[in-house]
Parts: sequence; structure tokens; C-alpha cells
Amino acid sequence: MGPGTGTEEIVVPDTVEELWAEEVVRGETPWIVIVWNDPVNLMTYVTFVFQKLFGYSRAKAHKLMLQVHNEGRAVVSSGTREKCEIDVARLHAYGLWATMQRDD
Amino acid sequence: MGYVFERRRRDGLLVCTLPEPYAELLKQIVRELAEMIAAPPPGEVTDRLFPRAYLDPTEEDAEQEWQSFVHDDLVRAKADALEGVLRDLNGARAAGREQVAIDLDEEGETRWLQVLNDARLTLGTVLGVNEEARLDFPADDPRAVRAAIYDVLTEMQNDLVEVLLAEQPEEGTADEPEY
Repeated sequence: MGPGTGTEEIVVPDTVEELWAEEVVRGETPWIVIVWNDPVNLMTYVTFVFQKLFGYSRAKAHKLMLQVHNEGRAVVSSGTREKCEIDVARLHAYGLWATMQRDD
Repeated sequence: MGYVFERRRRDGLLVCTLPEPYAELLKQIVRELAEMIAAPPPGEVTDRLFPRAYLDPTEEDAEQEWQSFVHDDLVRAKADALEGVLRDLNGARAAGREQVAIDLDEEGETRWLQVLNDARLTLGTVLGVNEEARLDFPADDPRAVRAAIYDVLTEMQNDLVEVLLAEQPEEGTADEPEY
């Protein structure tokens, strides 16, 4: 029960997945995080950052890195706007060029 | 060359051994970066170190809000990492034959990775690094020195990453949606 009136139950989602599920249920578009190719970041470094930040397997991280390298960009995570804003900030802390947008 | 990153079995620390002139060079680079981060001049380098989150110009309000949430933290994290690496370098122990050694815990590894990367992003942006051509300036061009430093930093970061990447688990810990 939420504090206050005692008549309204306030359910606070406590995981990102729950938040995301709620957003999807409400019909809102999820967001995606894109990493763009740049000429400075090393391929090994980009792979390492994907494994370290997102817990992806070596194969998955390697595949995403190659996609960034060959196609110029890759979607590396998705979810609510809030989750993506955090992911973008984490990627920027590691010097990767990341942006976010609606998954249209 | 002459530097090396090695995992020490006894305590799990990563030992960085490097020639004294490299350590001095790194100190200078770190100090310059710290000055730049403290008062980032508008321009390409700052844009690269602190990119926008939203490309869509109609999301300008969200961009401003995001910046207000994260920018100070990002600046502080970079400044802390630079300060930490400078502390590591100042506290380096003699390791014989004009070499010094630094013991890095996990936080130390991360700040070295990030500082080497920020230094390369900064130099690479100033020098106009691209994927097609190697940096090749005439010896009397002032950019030649910076290009040589960029190459040294690239080798160092690559060696550090290779050690750390090899230690990452083969299997992931996250669900892996198909993007």
C-alpha cells in the first residue's frame, strides 16, 4: 500500500524490466541505444566495453563491434527512455559515441 | 615499446611496467587533459568527449534535461580518473633498468583504460585521425610529435585491452536480445 490515502495502491516497479513492461503495456515506443563508428576507438576496446557494461557474451559483443565497424552503427541496448539515458551515459564514460532514439 | 601489462597471480593485481620516459610523458599528457577537462573549450574535442545523447533536434528539452543530470558526473568521473592515474604514476616504484612499475586493482585498470582512451580521443580528434590513412606528417611538422604520442598511446591501450579482454567470460551474464 502506498502512504497517504490508504485507498489507492501505488505499485512501484523495482526492476528495469518491470518498468519496460509497463511502458510497453501503455503502448509507448521503447527506446534504442546506438553506438556509432569512429576512427579512434579500438575494435578490441569496443568489444571489451560491450562485455563489461552489458554482460554480453564474447560472441555477441564481437558481433556488435563488427556491426559498428562495418555498417557504421549498431543497436546495443534498448528499453525505457530512462534506461537508455543511463546506458548512453555509461557508454560516454568509456568514450564510445552513443546516442538514443525511439525505436520506430 | 618496453612497457608491459601483466596479471600477477599472487594477488590478482595488474602490474604495469614502463620505462621512466614513458611515465614522464604520460604525466604530462594527463596534466594537460585534466586542465582541458576542467575548462573544456567549445569545439570538436569537447563535442567528442561529451557527445549529445539525442540526435533528434526536436528532443532538445530531453537533451538539456539529460545533460543536467549526467554532465557534471561525467566531468567528475573523467577528472577523478585523470587524478588517479597521475597518483599512480607519481607513486610508481623503481623496477630496475630505468623502469617503473605500478600495481593496478580493478578500479585502477578501468581508470587507465578510460584515461588512455580519452587521451587518444583528444589527440585523434585534434590530428584528424581517420580509418583510411595512417598519420604521416613530415618530421618538421609540429603534428609529427603528437602523432608519435598518439601511436604510443594506441599501442599501450591495445596491450592493456588485450589482457583484460582475454579475461572476460566467454559466456555472457545478460539476456541477449537480437538487435
